[in-house]
Amino acid sequence: MGGFLASRFMSDVFNGVANGIIFSLIALSLVVVWQSTNVLNFAQGAMATFATYIGMTQVEHGINIWLCMVISVVVGFIFGGLTERVLIRPLYGKPDINPIVVMVGFLGFLQFLAAAIWGNIPRILPSPFSQVFYTSKGHTIFLSPFVVFQILTAVTVMMIVALVFRFTTLGLKLRAAALAPEVARLLGVRVDRLLTFGWMISSAVGSFTAILVAMQNGSALSPSVMGSVFIFGFIAAAVGGLDSPIGAVVGGLLIGLVEQFTLDYWQANMAPVMALVVLIVVLMIRPRGLFTKNTQRRV
Amino acid sequence: MIRVAHLTVKYGAIAALTDVSFEVRPGSITAVLGANGAGKTTLLRTISSLMTPSQGEIFLGDTALVGQKTEDIARLGVAHVPEGRGVVAEFTVEENLRLGALSSPENSAHAVAAQFERFPVLAQRRKQYAATLSGGERQMLALARALVARPTVLLLDEPSLGLSPMVTADIMTTISTLSREEKLTVVLVEQNAKSALRIADHAVVLHVGTVVADAPAGDVANNDDLKRFYLGLVK
Amino acid sequence: MLRPNFHRLPTTSRWIVILGVTATALGFTFTFNAGLNAQIASGAAISIVVLGLTWLTGWSGQISLGNSGFMACGGYFVGVWANHHAATPLVISLLFATAAGALGGLILAVPATRLRGPYLAGATLAFATVTSSLVYVFGNWTGGPTSQLFLNSLTTPSWFARMFSGIQASLNSSAQYGADLAICVAAIAFLFMSNLFHSRLGRAMTLVRDNDVSAELMGINLRRTRTIAFVIAAALGGLGGGLQTLLNGSVTPGSFPLTISITLLTLMVLGGIGTLTGAVLGGLIFAVSSNVINWLCSTAGISSTSNLGTNMQGIVFSVLLMTTMLIAPQGISGNIVRGYRHLMQRFTSKIDNSPA
Repeated sequence: MGGFLASRFMSDVFNGVANGIIFSLIALSLVVVWQSTNVLNFAQGAMATFATYIGMTQVEHGINIWLCMVISVVVGFIFGGLTERVLIRPLYGKPDINPIVVMVGFLGFLQFLAAAIWGNIPRILPSPFSQVFYTSKGHTIFLSPFVVFQILTAVTVMMIVALVFRFTTLGLKLRAAALAPEVARLLGVRVDRLLTFGWMISSAVGSFTAILVAMQNGSALSPSVMGSVFIFGFIAAAVGGLDSPIGAVVGGLLIGLVEQFTLDYWQANMAPVMALVVLIVVLMIRPRGLFTKNTQRRV
Repeated sequence: MIRVAHLTVKYGAIAALTDVSFEVRPGSITAVLGANGAGKTTLLRTISSLMTPSQGEIFLGDTALVGQKTEDIARLGVAHVPEGRGVVAEFTVEENLRLGALSSPENSAHAVAAQFERFPVLAQRRKQYAATLSGGERQMLALARALVARPTVLLLDEPSLGLSPMVTADIMTTISTLSREEKLTVVLVEQNAKSALRIADHAVVLHVGTVVADAPAGDVANNDDLKRFYLGLVK
Repeated sequence: MLRPNFHRLPTTSRWIVILGVTATALGFTFTFNAGLNAQIASGAAISIVVLGLTWLTGWSGQISLGNSGFMACGGYFVGVWANHHAATPLVISLLFATAAGALGGLILAVPATRLRGPYLAGATLAFATVTSSLVYVFGNWTGGPTSQLFLNSLTTPSWFARMFSGIQASLNSSAQYGADLAICVAAIAFLFMSNLFHSRLGRAMTLVRDNDVSAELMGINLRRTRTIAFVIAAALGGLGGGLQTLLNGSVTPGSFPLTISITLLTLMVLGGIGTLTGAVLGGLIFAVSSNVINWLCSTAGISSTSNLGTNMQGIVFSVLLMTTMLIAPQGISGNIVRGYRHLMQRFTSKIDNSPA
């Protein structure tokens, strides 16, 4: 058993799932705001990084790491709401290009501002769990307590999001606000507040993801730490379908595995190329992703 | 109950409603009739603040509605069943009803159960997605969902749209019963003037955005000129 | 959509305007110092790329965040080629760069022309990332991650240097040569595009942008039209990237970072989306931006080597991009035209009912 778990195949699976679940989280937070506001948040990664900087640099002031993580997520939560109110609200009903351009501008702004405030030198974050891989009878299994923590918390976050959306009154309102905003308004649902709340949830999930990414072995907190992670996350969301939370999770895992197997059996620099190839192939077959029902073009 | 005064609504430069005034008495059914493009839907959408008038006032009792948010108007007890029913197809029957109960002051589970009692057809389909319902069932669901919140005013936009004459008659009877039993004030927008006049107490006829008649339903039903020129009822 | 009527001018007038602007710009390079001429050169190079982007976004309605990828295609092709064939004439090098960009555009167009809105934006962004990792994948040719390519292809010709003999130092003459060369290349690109904007293809493009269904019903092949738009934009990107590489004399994986895509968007939006004037203004803004930023920093007492100082340009550009899009999405050229029309209407007090 130890031998199998330590095999090259299984270590790729472990690594692929560990990375993929990160992409799933990014994809999920993209889907949450896309569904409700039809804005693809290109600044997702930069917003998350910014919130993480605010929270995690508190470690240097001797504050408990768990508290710092809570601060980051809370900052992300508030930040998401502010962004929706100030930047996004004026863009509802505008052509596609306007929100894209504004969010790309916001991405640049936050990334440069983070570099201006905290510098470009990466900061290695302490990890709350050991990053040393488990061994079994002399074989190294590519799972560490941190990776287990990463996977378990990511799954927990997804489960919470899914349960809230599926089974609570709040989730019912959020889904109604996304699916039929006008009808929801006529039934007394305060849609504006829910859209803001959707951005807050998304941004909080994003911040949590950025913390995990920055804590990973071999990674560190830098202004562009989420750059390529965001691209993979977007690819995951587009592969799964921007309208589908399940698609986001599946897409993330798929891209994570593709990335890991490519870099192990080919080379690391081919990983983004292969991810793009997967995206292209999927979109050629289903232009709106694997899990979205194809809709008619409007005349 | 509802008073519309000198209402003018524009789409860009084009006026959809021009200086429209009328009153709806509490507990009555008022039919708003007219051809396509007469401004009926615009009128209902303006009452619910989905559109902003360029001039005029709307009052619910003593409360001014113009300038209020749509969701606040709903919470004042105005239930609006929009054109095409507005049933959320991706939701189950029960979820649709729960959605309606959100602005209800009382226990929502209770309110939902009460509607299942009133509409046994829906109770059978409780867990089905609304997309699988027939047109008549969807209209029932839309009505039930509007009633869950115990409104005082019901705004109905073309409930007969796309329904067979038999189902239409059924729906109209339901509306009439509801109005009587629950003391509901109903504004019924219809193209199907004949069915609407059968249950209405009062009728307002719109033509290209202006009121051409505002009279008891019986008078409108007996006025051949109105019927010929505006309602297409006399050959 | 309100846009400057420049492209509606008759062909001769348009040519006269472009040649006049070019001559004026060339004239100015005689008075500028080496530093300013170098900035003018890169401004002209970037205006070519902005021209491609504005064509793609404003005219064919396809947004792209991947134009830094096209620049990399052209830039690296020129670099790699020059390393093996140092004696290649300049014109040939630039044509190769254009072709390399166009090829990149053709490859990207296969999926991209099927995608809309944010899917397209995201896919092109991924393309830009992928081009930079391909630089590493083909490390044998490109020089890989760390090693840089140095070329010496942009030598000032003797006839050009002779014009200055005795008047100016040779350093300045080479900087001016770069600027004049870039201005001339840009002028050719603008002449070409001004005709294209005006052509049957240009009109088909706007129809595809505004209503693809009716365009299709009129017999326009949507995918082919969109593909052509992509290829042309990419060709201009490649040309701009190649020119930039020749001017710099080097190309590295850091030459075309993703942030260039943000810069390009800013220049396009500031100038005015979908207009030739906007692309020229964009290039001009880029040329003077570092001076303005430096002045801003020194006035505010910010050290140019501090974290804030080094990121100031990025911050300013991003803020300009966001605020322009939120407040005045038509950019400088659009608002000049609007202001002009407004004034004319006041004077003539006529109501302009012509479709804007």
